[in-house]
Amino acid sequence: MLVLTRKLGESIAIDDHIKIVVVQIKGKQVRLGIKAPPETKIHREEVYKAIQDQNTEASQADLSSITNLANELNKK
Amino acid sequence: MKIKTTRFGELEVDKKDIIEFTEGLLGFENLKKFFIVDPGDQTLILWLQSIDDAGTAFPIIEPKIFQPNYMVKLLPVELNSLSLENLSNASVYTVLTIPQNVTEMSANLKAPIIINNKTKTARQIVLQDSKLEVRFKMYMDLKKYIVNYASDDSKRTNVNVANKEQGVTTVQANNVTANTTNNKNAEA
Repeated sequence: MLVLTRKLGESIAIDDHIKIVVVQIKGKQVRLGIKAPPETKIHREEVYKAIQDQNTEASQADLSSITNLANELNKK
Repeated sequence: MKIKTTRFGELEVDKKDIIEFTEGLLGFENLKKFFIVDPGDQTLILWLQSIDDAGTAFPIIEPKIFQPNYMVKLLPVELNSLSLENLSNASVYTVLTIPQNVTEMSANLKAPIIINNKTKTARQIVLQDSKLEVRFKMYMDLKKYIVNYASDDSKRTNVNVANKEQGVTTVQANNVTANTTNNKNAEA
């Protein structure tokens, strides 16, 4: 991994179209500004992790889960 | 072709019904080929069954069933990646988690599964809208829908017919029990 040191207000350019700026440094938090073409997908890493976890949990369902669900749905 | 599955036994799958996820699903990047199984139960839940791994299947549901206002907005680059011009020729499903306490079930509205009905290529796309939830609790919405419509068999048939018109073919696995599975094997 490439590691660069940047000061407040300084930025990093990735390719010709992506720019990441250090907007604010406050204690343990860094605020980053990202300039990128509209088709660039930008997400916090946790979003991907949450989706992976959801997929994993989803794949653990079996037909008894559906039976339980059907029974519950049928309750008035 | 015959495909072995852990949950549904051996199923006959037409080659044209095989859906290709070139990038897999998040956390399941190695599994590329799937097909959709319709167990035909009242819950309206379908299964995205892996061909590569008999034990992996994801319960999925069309979001319009429990969230009529749910709108998928794709970036041009995402549409391109599925060879789509718009979503009129695509099917949209959400992945469900069904915990022991089924009333806590949830649907992933943040990363729906989009299938190009013509090419049968598909992707799980992470939408940019930050308001969409990965675990959207939808038990009550589903229950409402089912109370209103599911007892009406004609409605159910319509749902299936509508799917077929859109080009999604599901593999029927009616009355999946150990017995029917055995019978099927015997016939084969």
